[in-house]
Formats: sequence, C-alpha cells, structure tokens
Amino acid sequence: MRLVHNITASLALLLIMPGIAFANKPTDGGYWLQDAATPVMEELTKLHNFVFWIILGITLFVMVMMGWIMFRFSAKRNPTASKTTHHVGLEVAWTIVPIIILLVMVVPSMRLLYFQDALPETEMTIKVTGNTWNWEYAYPDHPNVESFISNPLEKEDAGDLYLLKTDASLVVPVDTKIKVLITSSNNLHSFAVPAFGIKMDAVPGRINETWFEVNPGKEGTYFGQCSELCGVNHYKMPIEIEVVSKEDFQSWVANDGAFTTAVVSYDNGSIVLQD
Amino acid sequence: MAGIGYDDHDDGKPGFFARWFYSTNHKDIGTLYLIFGIISGIIGGYLSFMMRMELSEPGIQIFENGHAYNVFASMHGLIMIFFMVMPAVIGGFGNWFVPIMIGAPDMAFPRMNNLSFWLLPVALICLLISFFVPGSASGNGFGGGWVMYPPLSTSGAPGPAFDFIIIGLLAAGFSSIFGAINFITTILNMRAPGMTMHKMPLFAWSVLVTAFLLLLALPVLAASLFMLFTDRIDGGTGFFDPAMGGDPEMFQHLFWFFGHPEVYIMILPAFGMVSHVVSTFSKKPIFGYLGMAYAMVAIGVVGFVVWAHHMYTVGMDVDLKAYFLAATLVIAVPTGVKIFSWLATMWGGSISFSIPMQWALAFIFLFVLGGVTGVMLANAGVDVALHDTYYVVAHFHYVLSMGAVFGIFCGFYYWFGKMSGYLYNKWLAAAHFWLFFIGVNVIFFPQHFLGLNGMPRRYVDYPQEFELWNQVSSFGAYITLAGVGFFLLMLVEAFIRKRPAGANYWGDGATTLEWTLSSPPPYHQFNTLPRIEQNDEH
Amino acid sequence: MAGHAVEHDYHLIPPSPWPFLSGCAALVWGLGMVTFFAGLVDRTGSSPMAEWFFANGLDTLKSSLTGDGSLSGGWIILLVGCLFAAYVMYGWWKDVAAESAAGDHTPVVDIGLRYGMIMFIMQEAMFFVGWFWMFFELGLFHKVRATWNPDILENAAGYADSMAPGVTSVDAWHLPLMNTLILLLSGTTVTWAHHALMHNDRKGAKWGLFLTIALGIIFTWLQLIEYAELFHLRESGHEAWIGNNAYGSAFFMATGFHGFHVLIGTIFLFVCWVRLLKGGFKPEKHFGFEAAAWYWHFVDVVWLFLFAFVYIIFAMNGVAH
Repeated sequence: MRLVHNITASLALLLIMPGIAFANKPTDGGYWLQDAATPVMEELTKLHNFVFWIILGITLFVMVMMGWIMFRFSAKRNPTASKTTHHVGLEVAWTIVPIIILLVMVVPSMRLLYFQDALPETEMTIKVTGNTWNWEYAYPDHPNVESFISNPLEKEDAGDLYLLKTDASLVVPVDTKIKVLITSSNNLHSFAVPAFGIKMDAVPGRINETWFEVNPGKEGTYFGQCSELCGVNHYKMPIEIEVVSKEDFQSWVANDGAFTTAVVSYDNGSIVLQD
Repeated sequence: MAGIGYDDHDDGKPGFFARWFYSTNHKDIGTLYLIFGIISGIIGGYLSFMMRMELSEPGIQIFENGHAYNVFASMHGLIMIFFMVMPAVIGGFGNWFVPIMIGAPDMAFPRMNNLSFWLLPVALICLLISFFVPGSASGNGFGGGWVMYPPLSTSGAPGPAFDFIIIGLLAAGFSSIFGAINFITTILNMRAPGMTMHKMPLFAWSVLVTAFLLLLALPVLAASLFMLFTDRIDGGTGFFDPAMGGDPEMFQHLFWFFGHPEVYIMILPAFGMVSHVVSTFSKKPIFGYLGMAYAMVAIGVVGFVVWAHHMYTVGMDVDLKAYFLAATLVIAVPTGVKIFSWLATMWGGSISFSIPMQWALAFIFLFVLGGVTGVMLANAGVDVALHDTYYVVAHFHYVLSMGAVFGIFCGFYYWFGKMSGYLYNKWLAAAHFWLFFIGVNVIFFPQHFLGLNGMPRRYVDYPQEFELWNQVSSFGAYITLAGVGFFLLMLVEAFIRKRPAGANYWGDGATTLEWTLSSPPPYHQFNTLPRIEQNDEH
Repeated sequence: MAGHAVEHDYHLIPPSPWPFLSGCAALVWGLGMVTFFAGLVDRTGSSPMAEWFFANGLDTLKSSLTGDGSLSGGWIILLVGCLFAAYVMYGWWKDVAAESAAGDHTPVVDIGLRYGMIMFIMQEAMFFVGWFWMFFELGLFHKVRATWNPDILENAAGYADSMAPGVTSVDAWHLPLMNTLILLLSGTTVTWAHHALMHNDRKGAKWGLFLTIALGIIFTWLQLIEYAELFHLRESGHEAWIGNNAYGSAFFMATGFHGFHVLIGTIFLFVCWVRLLKGGFKPEKHFGFEAAAWYWHFVDVVWLFLFAFVYIIFAMNGVAH
C-alpha cells in the first residue's frame, strides 16, 4: 500500500508541478500549464487539474473495461455469445452518471468563468493594439507615457528567447488590478499571456477587455504569443511583459516611460538596476 | 433471401465511359467517391507531412515564409474535411451501403447522385488552382486557415486564390446538399417492406442524421461564403468591414453555425460503421439499439446550438459563454451512451479480433481520449489557456484524424471484400493498422503537452522550448507515412492476387442485408425486394 | 436472380451525360465567376490578349456604366458557363419530362420526388436564414458596434451613425408595396392554374400560368427599377447602396438573392408552361407543376419576411424619398 501511495503521490507531483524553476515562459520540453502568476491563472490551473483527474478517470475506466472485455469475452474464452440486448437499469445508469459528473464539473467551471470575465474595480488601464505584425501599447492613465510599438527581436539579438523577446516590453506594476483594452488595426490577433491566464482576441472595430493582477512577489518578465492567425508573420509577434514593483513603476512613469538606468537583468523575479 | 447469385453474363453494365462518367448506379458512384477520397487523402496527407517536417525543429526549413506554411495548413484542413472524410463516409460508404442495407435497388435520384459526385472534382480543381495563383502580398495561395476568418480572407487576401476557394467550397457544398436530399429521400421512401425506421441498420440511421445536418448547415455556409465573395469585390458589400459598420465576428458566428454540425457530419457515419463492426465481431446484436439511434439524433440536434464554443475568446458576453459552456457539456451525455453501448455490445460476446474489429476498438479508445479533452475545452474558463493552442489541434485530430479516419478504415476493411469481391492480405492490413495506430498517437499525443505549455497553432516557427515534443510529433509522421504505404500496398496486392470473397465472409455476426448478396453485389440488386420479418426483437 | 424481371416500382435510370456535363459547366461557370468579379490577371498592359479575356470584368462594366473606359471580355467565360449550364438544364429537364410521360414516375417515385422538393425548399430556407441572421445582427446591434471604439477608425463619424435605425431606407409603401401585391396576386393565379389543371380545364391552366409568369417578370422588372433608382441616389447622401455601408450590403444581398430565386421560380414556371402547351401534365399527375408552385409560394413567403423586416420594421425612422 505504501508503494502504491508513493507512486501516486509522485505521479501527481509530476503531473501537477512539472516546472519548478523559471516558468514565466514555456518550459523546455514542458508538458503542463505554465506557472500561474495571477489569481485567475491559479484558479484556471486548479480547475484544469480538477477536470483532468475526472477525464483521466473516465479514460482509465473505459480502458480497463475494454481490456477486460477483450480478455474475458474473446472468441477463445467465450465461444458462444449471449443474446442480451437490453438492460434498462444499465442504460439509465450510464445516462445519469455522466450527467452527475458534468454537474459536479459545471459548478467550479461557471465560478471560474465569471471570476475571469466579470471585470473587478481596476486600478489602471492599458491599451493594446494588434498591428501586422507587432503590438502597440498605450497607457491612457499616464498621458506622459507615449504609446510605443513592441517589435520582435531577430534571432541574433534574442538568442534563446527568439520568438518571445521584443525590443520594448509592456511595463506593469505588480499587485495591481489592471484592465487591458484590446483592439486591432487590421487583421485579427489575439493577446495571450499563458502565465496570466488571459487570451483575448484583437478585433478591428471593437474593443475587447480583460484584466489581470500579478501576485505579490511575482515580479519578472513574462512572455506570450499572438494566438489568432493573422498572416505571414503570425508566429513572429510575441508579447513581452515586464512586471515591476509599484515603486519602480512609479519612477518609470515619472521618467515618461523609461527606466532611469539601464536594466542589467531581470532574473530572480525582480529587476536589478545598474547604479 | 439466400441464393441471390451473381449472374455475370447479362448484368446490364454499360461500356467503360458511360459506366464511370455517366453513371447512375449507386455502387459505381460510391466507388468513384472512395477513389476520389483516397486521392484527396494522399494530397492532404502530403500537405500535413510537409508541415510536420517543417516543425521538426525550430527555424524555417522548408517553407519560403509563414504564408506558404499557412497555405499548406489551410489547404490541409479544407481538403481533408471536404474532399477526404466527407466523400469517403457519406459519398463512398453511404452510397454503397445505405440503399443495400435498407433493401432498395438504388438511390432515389440516381442522376442527381452522379451530379453530387462530379461537383467534387470540380471543387478540388478550384482548390488546387488556388495554390498557384496570387493570394496575398506574401505569395500564392490562401493562408487564412480553413475557417477563413475575415479580415484575413477579405482585405488580407486580395488575390484570386481565395475566390477560387470560395467557388470550390460552394461546389462542394452543393454536392453535399444534393447528396443529403438524395439520402433523406432514399431512407424515408425506399425502405424494403417490413423495414420500419426502428429496424433500420444503425449506419442508415447515422447517414440520415448526417444528411439532415448537411441540409440545414451547409446553406448557411453558402450564404457566408457569398458574403465573403461580395465583401472582397472592390466597391462591394461591407458585411465584415468595421469601417462600413460591419462586424468581422459575425462571420465566425455564421461559419461555426455550419462548422460545428460539420464535425458531427464527419463523425456520425463513423459511429454507424463502428456499431456494425462491433456487433458483427462480437456475434451479438447491438446493445440498446434505440438508445444508439436516438443518441445520434440528440447529438445532431444539440450540435446546432453549441457553435460559439469555438469563439470563447472573441469577447462574447459572459452569460452567452455560460450558456454555450453548459450546452456543450450536454453533448457528452449522448456520446457517453454510445461508448457504453458499444462496450455492452461486446460484453458477453464472442469477440474475434479481425482487422475491422481492431480499427473499431482503436476508434472507441481514441474517440474517448479525444472526447474527454473536448470536455476540458468546453469549460470556457480553461479554454482561455488552451484556445488556439496545440491542445485544440490534438483534440480535434483525436476525434477526426483518429475518430473519423479510423471509422473510415474500419468500414473499408469491413466491406472491402463486399465492394471489390476480393479478400485483402491480413498481414499487410495488420501492418497498416499497427503502424497507423502507433504513428498517429505519436504525432498527436505530445501535442497536448505543447498546447498546455502554451504553443499556439498555425506557427511555422516556434521558441526552442517547444522543440522536444515537436520532434517526437514529427517522428510520428514517418511512422504514419509507413502505415499509409502499407495501406496502398494492401490495395495493390488484393487486386493483383484476386482472392475471391464469399457472400458473407464474416460469418454469423454479419446480419445486415448486404451479406445476403454476392461479393461484389450484382449490378442491380433487389430486383425482387427483400422482406423483413416482423418478429425481429429490437 | 440478377437479370430476371424487375419486380419493384422504383425508377432505375440508364447512364446519363447530364450530371457529368453539369460538372463541366460548373467548372466553366466558376472560372467565369472568379474572372468576372476578381480577375485572373492584373490589368498592366503587358499582355493585352490575356487581359482582354481574364482581367476583372466587373471593372469594365462599372466603367462603361459611368461612360468611360473601353469594353473588354472579362464577362465571356461567365456567359459561356451560364449558357453551358442552361443547355444542361434543358437536356436534363427534357429527359425527366420524357420519363414522366413514359410513365416511369410510379406512385412511389412520385412520393420520392415530393420528399426531394421539400428537402430542397428546406435548404433554400436555411440559405435565407443566413442572410436574415446577418440583417438582424446589423439592425439590432448597430448601437453596440457604433459605441465600441469610434476613436481608432479613420472615418469614425460615418461609422457611428451609418447603422442608425433605418438610415435612409427604401420607402416600403411605394414600389415594395406594389411588389408585395404583385407576388400575392401571382400566388392566387398559380393556384387558379393548379385547380384548372386538376379539373382538366387546360385553357384556364395555361392562362393562369401565363399570368403568374408575367407577374413574376413584372416583379423582377420593378425590382430592377428600384435598384436603378438607388444607384442614381447613391452619391446624394442615400445610404442604402450596396457598397456604402453594411446596411446597404444586407439590403441588397438579401433582396438580390430573393430576386435571383424569383428568377429561378419564373424559369421553373415557364418550363411548366411550355410542357403544358405541348400537352404535358394530366389532371391526376402533374408533380412538375406542383413543385414549381411550391417553390413559387416559398419565394413569396421569403418576400413577405423581407417586406416586413427589411422594408417596414427596420426602416421606420428614416425613409429616402
């Protein structure tokens, strides 16, 4: 029993927490959701894992049933077939039980949906416009910060972060409820940041909105990619978001959208500034 | 009814050209459809193989640019759906076996049946032309995805390439509409004496439901294609142009109102075929026949009111999303009924694992896998993380590339002897099955990981973190290709060796009417209509 | 057993060239559609021959309507495709009429034809569902769209009010009302023809059908007059032109496709009329005629919906004339 417990425990660990290290971008060879940086993504991950266990159970149940049937009722072991074609109880059961499972699932699912979608009182707003093929960011609450375009970096400059890294990242403060307005100047695009649990289409002629709030202590750089087919360079319009402390953000705004000193690195979740 | 012989000296067969080009015979037209499906499958498979090769490592290796890749991806989708799966399941097997199963001598409108077929090569020619004419500024062909969302399909693709696709899809659409009218009329009006609706084989039921879905969904696609067509004309309409007060998202609603029933159009006939195969090789009648038939009807009906679950991220109202979430989950119930009924059919049976049964068992297992990830995606909240990622690609390939296609192969091996009159080589068929089964799983299972990890769809190049699973996935493409090779080899071998197949080469389990006829059946069967006994216990 | 006498009433048809030729016609027609509306080659002047045939034909039409530009042949392939299709239709229809006269349409086949026609009309109805869906979306939710984001669009002002309810629509109580009455009247004449045919009053049937066809043609003619009027008004602030805004688009495409179906219905009735003149149809068996009548009534119903929603309800606030 102990062995079984150990195996299931480690399996669960393996399945639920694959990336221990740096996970605000895709993990190398990763096979699970990216680590959550916002409450929405935390809830999303929880629901995903909950539903995952349900569907894994269903799959295993069907698999085991099939295996048993194939073994027990093969022509060799069971030369004469029965003639049963009806069993009302059974038929009712396999209609009712799935309904119950779905009802169990739909409650947290709805809760997540409304949590995600019902915009809370947000503290600041940013505006994102999808162009072919780059993103444009604006800060309507901070008129002194000019809107800017974030272009993808070529392979030489981006190195290992090619197709994720840009020449100008969106800068937002940590622990702040931020409303994101999303639109497009021509084709459809989709503004997606996996670690934040947001994905919203950019549609010409329409402003969509979503929101995120990066958890305290989760400062760092986050990456996303355009998620709606938009033409030849669809693969090459990454989203880079730099989450900084509230103080750093204030000074960034005060400097008209520039860090006073060059950014040396943003490892370990916080920005290290050069003196 | 035993003893319907095969009289080959005066079969009323016309000469070659009249027989194959001017055909009014449901079996010949079915054969044409199947050949057409195989050819399209090879073209569509080639496109997907090239994509897999491109994605086997980061960087752009094969394609000129992202547009060329998008063209391949778009055409792969369109060709596989409209020119491989649909012609094979509905045109091919439907034409061949629906009339026979219900005891009819032919389809209701034999001439219109042939029109349905001949519109398809026309449509395919239009699609193939579009590869070679200007699409957008980035190159030839149309790269807006099989879903053809504007503005990428209007202002984003100014060249005639997309106009050819519209014309091609309209032709394919009319082909299917005429086919649907034909099947509905045949099934409602031409059942043999005693063949009540509730005695009709499940394959005929599945085609009936499918035909209604086609009849009601395709005209809406036709309307939305016309809207795209006129939107593209200089000085034309502005349905999807916000500058003229139009709405690009409206196309998505119209498209998915067609597109969601379309996925059931592809899978329902496979359900029907798998039911027959499971019953035949378990030597048991179908368990819960009525439940099976009405589960398909339920899937068809509910399929019309869940379309916007393809659009959770377009910025819909949250209450609408909640409705589509709930409605989508409902589909799991009739689908579950079908899965469990298949298992119950096998329970207590005397199962022989012939090739068609292997495909059927694999179908059930893989369809469950694809189905449960569908349940995951139905949750609008979770879908935000998974929408337009490889998780979705994996999901719909599990239900289509493994559901519909395994259903097709299942039916193909089940009826191959009946259609051709020859037996296939078991070893070649087994090699085909196992290579294909392993291959597609190696291709698509890792794509769940890619999707969870955040890799978006329709990317010609990707960050290096995604390399591992892409490599694995591309490796699966080689295995699958080998499997397809064995399929073609099996075909060639069977037609060279010409091992004759008996009238009922599957034995006691095969009880539908086609097994009372010779293999292949006479040119016109049932000159005397069969009579179905009244005391059948369904 | 094969080769022995056929003992059922179903209609087995010998090989027929028409489906295959229909496919060929569809291919030519498709090429013609793309050539006419999109153009296979650009008009650069480098290869005049190819451009004369394969450059956008609609441009030529537009420039000749406005009085400048030379004629070119971008419409030829489309015309050939249409003629080809018409020829196939003629041949196919002739075969069916001959089979009917030869008694191939037994009662069971007749029921099949009825099913087929009902299904065909169902799919036509779904086609119009698409157009009405579009129209209602534009009519009901224009305010939502207009308030989204006027600031990012270049022509924000025009955008904001272009979909105001009933922007300069066509006055329902002029030509459209006339057309409604014409179609309703044609519904009665076709019923008259039907009853006459059932009572073997062939003269009455011929007249009833003739009047129906005439009314159909008048309807189409009036519709063309309405379009021509809108065309002339399109630059004087009149918004209901196809290329001016989404409302105009929905108006033109919905009424246009209805007009196209009126045309098909008229041809269908005309074919029946010719068959009638040639002595076809019997009092107890005339499904070709009934199918045409069903189709005509369907077209009539679609018009009533168009009249009620497109012309009246969504055009309450602003009328052009």
